[in-house]
Amino acid sequence: MALEKIVRKIPSSSWETTSERLIDIVLNSPNANRMPSGLAKTILYYWQRDQLATEVGLQRLLEASITVDPEKTIDVLRELGFQELVTVLESR
Amino acid sequence: MINFGIEFVPRDLYWKTTFYAIQAEKTGFNTLWITDHFNNRNVYVSLAIVSAYTDKIKFGPGVTNPYMAHPIVTAQAVSTLNEIAPGRVVCGIGVGDKTTLEMVSMRPSKPLATIRESVRIIREITSGKNLEMQGKIFAVSGAKLNFKPTSKIPIFVGAQGPKMLALAAEIGDGVLINASHPKVVENAIGFVREGVAKAGKRLEDLEIAAYTSFSVAREPNKAAKAVVPVVAYIVAGCPETVLQKHGIPMETATKIRQAIIQGKWKEAFSQITDEMIEAFSVCGTPETVVEKIDSLVKVGTTQVVAGSPIGPNIRKSINIIAAEVFPHFRDKEDNQHD
Repeated sequence: MALEKIVRKIPSSSWETTSERLIDIVLNSPNANRMPSGLAKTILYYWQRDQLATEVGLQRLLEASITVDPEKTIDVLRELGFQELVTVLESR
Repeated sequence: MINFGIEFVPRDLYWKTTFYAIQAEKTGFNTLWITDHFNNRNVYVSLAIVSAYTDKIKFGPGVTNPYMAHPIVTAQAVSTLNEIAPGRVVCGIGVGDKTTLEMVSMRPSKPLATIRESVRIIREITSGKNLEMQGKIFAVSGAKLNFKPTSKIPIFVGAQGPKMLALAAEIGDGVLINASHPKVVENAIGFVREGVAKAGKRLEDLEIAAYTSFSVAREPNKAAKAVVPVVAYIVAGCPETVLQKHGIPMETATKIRQAIIQGKWKEAFSQITDEMIEAFSVCGTPETVVEKIDSLVKVGTTQVVAGSPIGPNIRKSINIIAAEVFPHFRDKEDNQHD
């Protein structure tokens, strides 16, 4: 399943919290250097415009967090109660 | 009015520094300084990308030095940045970090003359002038940029010792006092007054920044742990006169410096005491740092720079500063205006 569809399963009431948690993963991962420069610039673009807690912002954040730390990303999504997302991501 | 600056060390990936820079702008910092050390990412490349993702915050090298980069190159770099972000660029210059300079066999010789001439070169060139200068250190013959600088770039001089502080006040638009302790800053401002008087300027026309090593966290021990490496570098590069004021033996500083040069980090950091942290940083809980900033403001500081490390988690610490430190000072200003 594409990230676009996965993110649509996150209720808008949880966008802010999910965004915050994914940002933490991306910024603090020891594998942050795995982040493609193009994706980093897209995230900066959305951050500058306060759009990291929107559907498009979350898509890019999720892509980034999966890239730098897939296990932690799944842990956080599980902790936030998005079991369906966890199942989808684990089967990818 | 008190301004708040923030310093980033481009040791991090470029996009992390830029992320924090955007956050600093959003949360209300006035000025962003990026350090200039050859072993980190390049300061001007870092600032260029920051300029592309920010709109209001002022920014500049904090600080560059004339030993690694000829002042004409600095003038060119900041003028180019000022084209990208008109009116937002500031230029911080000082003698540089002794430890890093030693790694490339450079000695900050004749610092006063070097800084005086450097500031002249940067000011004249960034003003679009054609410069003829035969100095003791630099000779410039008919140097001029091939593009027109868009606006004046304020020059801040980094200083610590008495003579450099006086010079910084005499020739700079601002002084970056490399100190975190209110008593040290108060003492430094005494020398700043001498420099201002010599230049026939008013003290109010000069921005007086306390360039602190800063670490804030809800748990004081976490804040302290984060600041230890920075304090180690400060002690290692500190003039003997400053060390004496804090009761730190020169031999200890030399040992720390040698350990850093040899990459023996544990050995260097293990020698940092609570007293050194107190002397050379603004460190602790939000309440503690508010008290210390308040003391810095009371002795005449007009800009407090939250320098590296900022805290154990930079993003969280910036949010703490915005939520729990700024209101203390900005509400005060609002009340004063009422």
